[in-house]
Amino acid sequence: MSLLKPFSKLPGLNTANILLVENEEQFQQKLADTVVLQEKNVNVNVRLARSLPLPMENEESRPRIDLVVFIIHLTSELSFQSAETSLKYLDPGYFQGKVCFLVTSARNVSVPPERLVSVRKLAASLHCPLLCAEDQTTEGVTTAAHRLLAILKVAAGLVPMATGLYLSTLTRCTVPSDIDQQNFE
Amino acid sequence: MDDSTNRILQRLIRRIPSQMFQTMLGKWAHLSREDLHSLDFTQPKWVLTEHLLAHCEEKGLTVKHITELEMIYIIENPNQGMWHGFQLLDAEEDAPSIELTQFKEQFKANLTELIRHVSIKIKKHTDEAIWIRVAWGDNFTKPNHLKPTYVVHHLQTPYVFVTGLTSKHKPLLNQALVLATRYGSMKDAHLSGRNLTAIRDLLMRQYQQVFPTKHPKPLQEKNPVPRNPNIEKEQAENTENRLQMACEAFGDGTLPQLQKAVYKLETKFRDNSNKTLTGREEPFRGVVEFASTNLLESLRHCVSSGMASTPVTPLLSSITQKGRNYFVITDKGV
Repeated sequence: MSLLKPFSKLPGLNTANILLVENEEQFQQKLADTVVLQEKNVNVNVRLARSLPLPMENEESRPRIDLVVFIIHLTSELSFQSAETSLKYLDPGYFQGKVCFLVTSARNVSVPPERLVSVRKLAASLHCPLLCAEDQTTEGVTTAAHRLLAILKVAAGLVPMATGLYLSTLTRCTVPSDIDQQNFE
Repeated sequence: MDDSTNRILQRLIRRIPSQMFQTMLGKWAHLSREDLHSLDFTQPKWVLTEHLLAHCEEKGLTVKHITELEMIYIIENPNQGMWHGFQLLDAEEDAPSIELTQFKEQFKANLTELIRHVSIKIKKHTDEAIWIRVAWGDNFTKPNHLKPTYVVHHLQTPYVFVTGLTSKHKPLLNQALVLATRYGSMKDAHLSGRNLTAIRDLLMRQYQQVFPTKHPKPLQEKNPVPRNPNIEKEQAENTENRLQMACEAFGDGTLPQLQKAVYKLETKFRDNSNKTLTGREEPFRGVVEFASTNLLESLRHCVSSGMASTPVTPLLSSITQKGRNYFVITDKGV
């Protein structure tokens, strides 16, 4: 099993690398463009993938990935399943503050609420933060990029006195015990 | 001009949308330049109808002339109603050398022999297509001009496109066409759609096709977007492969606009979790229908975005490879 390992390569100077994993390959492109434009002080590299494992051919040229973001579109069950299967190809070292879940269409009425509940449970069990993003407007994309950059800089070790593990204990997703009995009336 | 003629003219005018009205009338031979200018096209349609009725009365125009206007309208706007494709088979020796006048004479002679009261109009369009309008009557009634059949045929090709044909008149039209084009028989091509240009392009392979190559290079984009050096795709090769396979199966660029693909299943039910239905001798009949405003575009996107698995299943690629959109699937094959 070719696991993606967090510390097997040397970090670059003033560089942060983020990997966006999305089954539909739509939102990741917009997000990548915005992220690269927004950050002026740090050199940000974005890698885009559809699912893990990543191809072996790029193993040499790939830099050390500081943050892996799984983009899940709640409108599609396949999106969630693809993210779940990709999780197996991550080294456990990533789950200490270097993985983040990003969901879209959380406010959409036609989305079954059970799906968001399963994503929350998954994120909580892995101690990862869960972000909700709005992918249809530019403001939504900009906001999502801004939040991802904040987490990325900590995960890459570029923020003094903060590490990814420390941040994740504050931002990790929690699931209230009565979530299965929730009903919106 | 009698009542029925008036009605036909009124129906026709109602059918033509107001924006096209002036251009259509301009092309009609029975309305002179001065008359056309004297009509005020800013008036509502019913006023124009009155003027036109009066004009036709004056000139003594008959149904024949009015149907010319209808034909002009349909030739300009063929993408309405349901068109069906047919293929001519077993060409005789002189089939490739049939030319227009010969075809016209033969067709008219054959059809009037088969059915006494029938009104035929044949016109050759600028793009080498022959348009035939047939209004059917029977041995006792005059031809019904409210439900005509239109036939489009390109000479020297074995394809015929028909709209508005009832099953009663189908064998008659078949026989007349087969004799006039010097072929042995005509069969249903199982291709139908609202858009005549689309089914014609699909049957005659006039869309942009992509052929499999030994050394595939990625399809060049028309306006390559300048790539940001900081953004890199990990699985770019996979994406390119999928796009290549999608375009090989369905074509590149603008695709012919098909609305439906229907698969009629006559296969045995096979699912081990359902004991009541599996193992029966009779086939489990079902119909699977794919519908979209532009079906080929949707299927190509499904394949290139990875929603449908590659290599493309022959069930889907036969739509373009065989040029049909109605399939019957039995256990032995398609």
